[in-house]
Amino acid sequence: MASFNYDDSDSPRDTELSSLVAIYPEIQHPRSDDPYAIAIDIPVNPSKPVLVYFPAAADSNPDPRAQGTLQQNGASHVNGSASGGPLNGTDRVGGAGSAEGAGAGAGALDRHEVAHLPPVHLEIIFGPDYPAEKPPVITISADPPWLSKDTIKRLEDDGPRLWEEMGRDMVGFTYIDHIQQAAENVFELVDEKGTLEVDPQHRIAIMDYDIRARRAAFEKETFNCMVCLDPKKGSVCHKMIDCGHVFCVECLQDYYNNAIKEGDLASVRCLAPNCTKEREQAAVSSSGNKKRKKPKTYISPSELLQIPLDPETVKRYVTLKYKTELESDKNTIYCPRQWCNGAARSKKHKKPQGLELNEHDEDEEEEEETSGVSKPYNATDLLAICEDCNFAFCSRCHQSWHGEFVRCQAPRKNEELTAEEIASLEYMKLHTTPCPTCAAPAQKTHGCNHMICYRCQTHFCYLCSAWLDPGNPYQHFNEMPGGRITGCYQRLWELEQGDGDDVGLGFEGGAGAAPPGAGRAGPAAAAAAADAPEAPPGFEGLPEQRLMELLMADMGESDDEEDDFGGPPPFGDRELDRQLAQRIEAEAQNGAGRGVGEVAIAREGPLVLRIDGGRGGGGRNQPAAGRGRGGGAAGGAAAAAPNGPAAGGGRGGRGRGDNARGGQGAGGANIRGQHQNRGGAPNNRHNNRNNHPNHNGVGAGAARGGRNGGGGVGGAVRGNVGGRARPNPNGPRMDFDNPDNVQVNVPDGIRLDPQQEAWIRQFVHLALEDQEDLLFDDDDW
Amino acid sequence: MASTKRIAKEFADCTTAPPPGISITLPSDADLHTWHVTVTAPPNSVYAPGRFGLILKLPTDYPFKPPTINFTTRIYHPNITNDSLGNICLGLLKSENWKPASKIISVLEAVRNILVEPMPDDALEQRIADEYRRDRPEFEKNARAYVERYAKGSVNFVQAPPPPEKKDGAPAGATTTGAVNPGRAAGRQGGASSGSASRPAPPA
Repeated sequence: MASFNYDDSDSPRDTELSSLVAIYPEIQHPRSDDPYAIAIDIPVNPSKPVLVYFPAAADSNPDPRAQGTLQQNGASHVNGSASGGPLNGTDRVGGAGSAEGAGAGAGALDRHEVAHLPPVHLEIIFGPDYPAEKPPVITISADPPWLSKDTIKRLEDDGPRLWEEMGRDMVGFTYIDHIQQAAENVFELVDEKGTLEVDPQHRIAIMDYDIRARRAAFEKETFNCMVCLDPKKGSVCHKMIDCGHVFCVECLQDYYNNAIKEGDLASVRCLAPNCTKEREQAAVSSSGNKKRKKPKTYISPSELLQIPLDPETVKRYVTLKYKTELESDKNTIYCPRQWCNGAARSKKHKKPQGLELNEHDEDEEEEEETSGVSKPYNATDLLAICEDCNFAFCSRCHQSWHGEFVRCQAPRKNEELTAEEIASLEYMKLHTTPCPTCAAPAQKTHGCNHMICYRCQTHFCYLCSAWLDPGNPYQHFNEMPGGRITGCYQRLWELEQGDGDDVGLGFEGGAGAAPPGAGRAGPAAAAAAADAPEAPPGFEGLPEQRLMELLMADMGESDDEEDDFGGPPPFGDRELDRQLAQRIEAEAQNGAGRGVGEVAIAREGPLVLRIDGGRGGGGRNQPAAGRGRGGGAAGGAAAAAPNGPAAGGGRGGRGRGDNARGGQGAGGANIRGQHQNRGGAPNNRHNNRNNHPNHNGVGAGAARGGRNGGGGVGGAVRGNVGGRARPNPNGPRMDFDNPDNVQVNVPDGIRLDPQQEAWIRQFVHLALEDQEDLLFDDDDW
Repeated sequence: MASTKRIAKEFADCTTAPPPGISITLPSDADLHTWHVTVTAPPNSVYAPGRFGLILKLPTDYPFKPPTINFTTRIYHPNITNDSLGNICLGLLKSENWKPASKIISVLEAVRNILVEPMPDDALEQRIADEYRRDRPEFEKNARAYVERYAKGSVNFVQAPPPPEKKDGAPAGATTTGAVNPGRAAGRQGGASSGSASRPAPPA
């Protein structure tokens, strides 16, 4: 670039140019041989962003519907800028705004809010006869040439006009200032609706310039990152595309990387408090009483890449998000090929391509769901095609597609579970509670028992897996209207330190066997799911069932004798036996920690009685704190029923604040009739650490010792009563139809007195008529 | 470490320009992650002029994870457990609601705010919530009685030991049922700590 000295103080041209160069240091000299030719770029930054409208060729017949959308679009754009500042809507890569416009295709939609228009290039030549004789020669241009010829002509003519008006005097500064002021309102090109019409061929250049200019302005600014609270230059900050909040890149990376690593997808959202709420309110107020649509809270993969996050991390985010979506949909069908396990193609969920999520409209989804309720059965619907390996299979029998006219074949024989799989199942059963909606197992790390599913955001109780009303989740732990209480009454803070092996405490959670005293709402019923058809669908079975399916590809269409009680989904014999084993074991646990001696009876669950031997204290046979149990941490293998794949590990009952765990207790008897040791002692040995699997299906579970438990041989007898009980075909069965014939098998060392026996009979009697509660008027049940 | 820097900054903000009714001290200069907060009940609340001790704990990955707050001064309030733990239920503090840009000061203001406006619909103590809704004078009487007994004089920051083992049912029953009658509580604890305004030691 040439630079010149205007030192001839006698020449008015030199005087004017030296002051112009001083005022506008950005002045350039386009001609190296002519010091009197100057050029300057005048930025066109309207004081208020304008809507630039690119009329399309086929815009003669605007669709009224498109018009409506357009207005809405405009509104939301303006909203964005009000809260946002320079960089919004169309951000960095071009962002959602422009993509939207291009995608919509309709010309009427093609309008964008622009804060920075390409500058106007001004070239002025002060000829030798200037200023006295001739006006300066002015050339105006813009790159891209977005200004119309008329406009350029008008602006160019302003020079001589001003020169005349000033009495043919030095007009340089006045003219440049005039153009600058005119640029502020875009040379009066904006119509009364605030839109500026520009030839569509400059669309990309104008958008691009705007984006770059916004970015540059943003980078020059300084922001206080709301997370680290440090002031940061805009160049190391990121402005959230949807809401305009600004954070420093470092904090965003730290937070999102961590959240994605932990699989906590719900946290990948704007970090500002109340952001969603504010946007929701804004959306409601701007769209009037239109159908309320929740603003999107999650962050798009492309924005994560812009922050920038590592593509690998974003990939994981996309994959997890898709997987979560599939898994929370109970209709998802998975590929039966063990090495694949992909999901079947579905219209609702589209497999993400590359790093882009296929966002589906939630409204559509709802419609589909409501209309799909009474869809007629269609055999071709059974055809499923894996989206990963393209395997075509039958969604019912999970074998390769057999056509619509062939009946599904019986499933293959189950394979054995590996020890590792058993251990995982075991752990999940012990230390997790399934979400009642999507069955995702949850493990509590700390805090209260009000859980929110990480996957589907269902509120539920950690103790019993019951669904909780999001409006009032704590009621479950308190008194219900009408004075009713659940088994989790006042147990909100149980297991506050979390659940897991390292905690040292356990509870027989929703996934495990019945927690003593969990009551009706609790899984007490679930443990007995195999027996009690009317019990709530066994939560207990769900995650496991799912895993079992995955692991063993076992989709038994049961058509054998299990059907006669119309019970829960057919697990096959194994599942039944396993539940039985679990139950027996649960019963055995209750024996733990009780000494030999006096016998007492207490009601353990809605249909479960506990008959205890060896209570030191008298009175009601409730452990010290109403719901706290001194139940032993009965672990280990309980008796495995024949063919039983795995015996459930029991977990010690935990009382609120009651750490006294049971001592060595062993044995259990029940009056359900599986017990074959009629009259014989079921090996209640103090040191019964070796838990021999008993292949007769007898509940001889041994309880692991607790620390400070008042050990001792205990015999626990739990009765499961009534027609709901399913007799074990292997054992002598009780004649429930005639309760007077009830025979109570109890282990050695326990004697029931006639009064107690009579009481049990009465309980059974009443239970058969569903009136057992009459016996417990004053009790918690 | 980012977390320490931010905590230091927030602590400086909170101590140089303390929000009304809130004062903060560090129990140990070496540890920025535990704060002792004294909240003076707003004059328009039923708890005025009580002063309440809170322990605010900041996890090592703060501000990515929410702080935890426990009342060390007992309080009769639907949203704060009426036991020696003083657990509090604030939507803001739930990990799924927590936003890293939330500041401690806003948390503390929210805490002070629920003293003015309890939220009986999100109650931890349902019985107190019911009383708050149905029998406001009785609730206020009880709340004042608690303030009189526990929230006067110097503030105590002794955090509750883990819940005592239940040797006999009586004291435990008082906390588990949540139905503590101030009068009864007073009678029971009167012998041990009469005249002392600090929180009485839990029954041995």
